[in-house]
Amino acid sequence: MEIIAKIAFWFYTLIVVGGALMAAVEASLVRSLVGLVAAMFGVAGLYMLMDAPFIAFMQVLIYVGGVSVLIFFAIMLTRAAPTGDEAMHRPLRKRINAIFAMLVPALVLSVAIVQHLPKGDALPADVPLTDLGRGLMGPYLLNFELISVVLFVAMAGAVMLAWRQWGKK
Amino acid sequence: MSPLQLYQLVALFLLCIGLYGLIWRRSLVGMLICVELMLNGAGLSIVAACQLTPANAVLGQLGTLLVMGLAAAEATLVLAIVYVVTRRFKTSESIIVSEMKR
Repeated sequence: MEIIAKIAFWFYTLIVVGGALMAAVEASLVRSLVGLVAAMFGVAGLYMLMDAPFIAFMQVLIYVGGVSVLIFFAIMLTRAAPTGDEAMHRPLRKRINAIFAMLVPALVLSVAIVQHLPKGDALPADVPLTDLGRGLMGPYLLNFELISVVLFVAMAGAVMLAWRQWGKK
Repeated sequence: MSPLQLYQLVALFLLCIGLYGLIWRRSLVGMLICVELMLNGAGLSIVAACQLTPANAVLGQLGTLLVMGLAAAEATLVLAIVYVVTRRFKTSESIIVSEMKR
């Protein structure tokens, strides 16, 4: 990596790490969402750095533009107060459980990454946008159509779930 | 360390912090945020693995795109579920909801 690429990589990594920490442990859900958005922007920057601008823009469009708005609606619908159940005290067992859930994959996978990963190329592969379009219309057409079906079913199911009067006769 | 290893370590960090938060959070929305973090890590890992190795780069990028689509579908469904649970239990706290009675 060139020196500018290194600086950019650590800058984006800093954003991702800070945002993810904020998203995971912040007591207020709105702040947690802000951290999530920051982490998503950092990941989009990392995609840019890997020479995948299409995926980076899709990340910004779908995650930052779509998913975060959905989460914001969920926060509003649950009327989550900053002093609500997220801020309450948790038993020690829960903290230990959470730390173990984090440590086990961290140890196993970091050893695998550091010791057994192949060296990899120094420069990312250059994929023109037309190749991606041909891929979507050619060999991966079925996946493309299936994801639209899945999205449609999810949206229709969400509308039906929210529309039905559960618990009322 | 090679760039591939560094990118994979960042992705691993996202996975681990997402797992930590998933256990640590008490409300369903907080859990959803942590799941999104893990999915971001998965996408980063896939793109790094396809862009920085001789593997098929088109397949990796389109796979990440599909992961994003699935994440959007999942977030929609979770939004509806959170809405229904909140209306029914008057809270979205996972401890109360996991007792499965009103």
